[in-house]
Amino acid sequence: MKRSILFLSMIFLATAANYASASAGRITVSINPPSVQANMGDKITYAGTVTNNSDRAIDNIIAYISLANITPGKEAPLDLEDWSANKAIKVDTIPPHGTYEGQWPMRLIDSGSYVAYITVVDKNDNMPVSSPMSRLEIKRLLRLNPNNVLPVAIGEPVALGMVFMLVAFRRRKRVK
Amino acid sequence: MKATYIMQKEIRESILTPKGFLWYILTSVILSVMSYLFLTNNELSLLDQGQMLYMIMNFITALGVLMGLVFGADAFAGEIERGTLEALFLSPVNKVEIATGKIGAALTNWGIIFAISLPYLFVVGKGGQNLLIGIVYLAFLGTFLAITFSAFSMGLSARIKSMKNSLIISFFIFLLAGAPIFLSAAQRRTWFGRILDLINPFADVINTFDSVVIDSQGFGYQVARVAIICGYLVLSVWFLKRSVSRLEM
Repeated sequence: MKRSILFLSMIFLATAANYASASAGRITVSINPPSVQANMGDKITYAGTVTNNSDRAIDNIIAYISLANITPGKEAPLDLEDWSANKAIKVDTIPPHGTYEGQWPMRLIDSGSYVAYITVVDKNDNMPVSSPMSRLEIKRLLRLNPNNVLPVAIGEPVALGMVFMLVAFRRRKRVK
Repeated sequence: MKATYIMQKEIRESILTPKGFLWYILTSVILSVMSYLFLTNNELSLLDQGQMLYMIMNFITALGVLMGLVFGADAFAGEIERGTLEALFLSPVNKVEIATGKIGAALTNWGIIFAISLPYLFVVGKGGQNLLIGIVYLAFLGTFLAITFSAFSMGLSARIKSMKNSLIISFFIFLLAGAPIFLSAAQRRTWFGRILDLINPFADVINTFDSVVIDSQGFGYQVARVAIICGYLVLSVWFLKRSVSRLEM
């Protein structure tokens, strides 16, 4: 009995390992650049390459990028819509041994340490395939005068106030 | 020509006074705070430049409409309450010319708000998309809307003859017109939301701004909405003319 259970377990493990390696081997995904250091507010672009290693074309796969915050105390996956990143890309077909290159531009909204990775989902496989993780370090940056807003934001009310005082002064003078 | 005299009188009495001027300083202060917050929070906010420009355009339009309503509510009811309408009627100016002059003053007020907002629009929209075309649309549609709401409020003021009541009714109309802003995107996509969006001149203007500034769509997409806004403009001017011609002391 024990032998039978052991035998069946070995068959199951061998099948599962074979299945996983088959799906992972058929498609490979890479992400570029492998690491990024940038400032808050910068716009960067991740490029992902999906390679079909098999002899058959792969149809209708979905590739998407994920970002996880790994800053100590803030560990969480991110909603990339906030970061203006592209949504998932649907790839119609990749020919045998062909590649697909996708781009995911995004605006860096918050500072911290992150990892980015691209995942490909093929509806014919049970296993998603992910790229290696790309490290992303975002430095906090505070700009006090973006777009040179301060001269207008301060100057215009002051200028209007001066015109206001001039009008008031002239009126008073006329009344006297 | 006589309407110009009335317009000049209104401008002297309402705009070129220290109290009247205070409105514009406050407008400028509010726009300063908004622009500064938008731009300094740019890195943190979810807003891109087009979105910021669109929001500031909406705010300027709403401000212009609101001030137009106040001008309108004061136009005849205010004169009656101050006891100055009789003197105005005794002058060699007919009622329609008086109304035209008062609309001219309300339009001047909108023109000043628009002029005050220009530097902010340029600062907020710098480097973004559709800045100039957005400003052109704001100039035209803002003017149409300012005339529409001022004329409606003026007509109401001539009929009701009470500044308080015409102001309250005008504000209710303004809130009703602004109601689509408070609806969620999903609610606005329903048949009810779509109809409300289409028949509401204020919603038509902000949807046109959205289409032009954010979606970069051409004039072809805006024709139906602009036609509806022009329709309201004609209707409100007709309402004003009819209300003023019936006005008696």
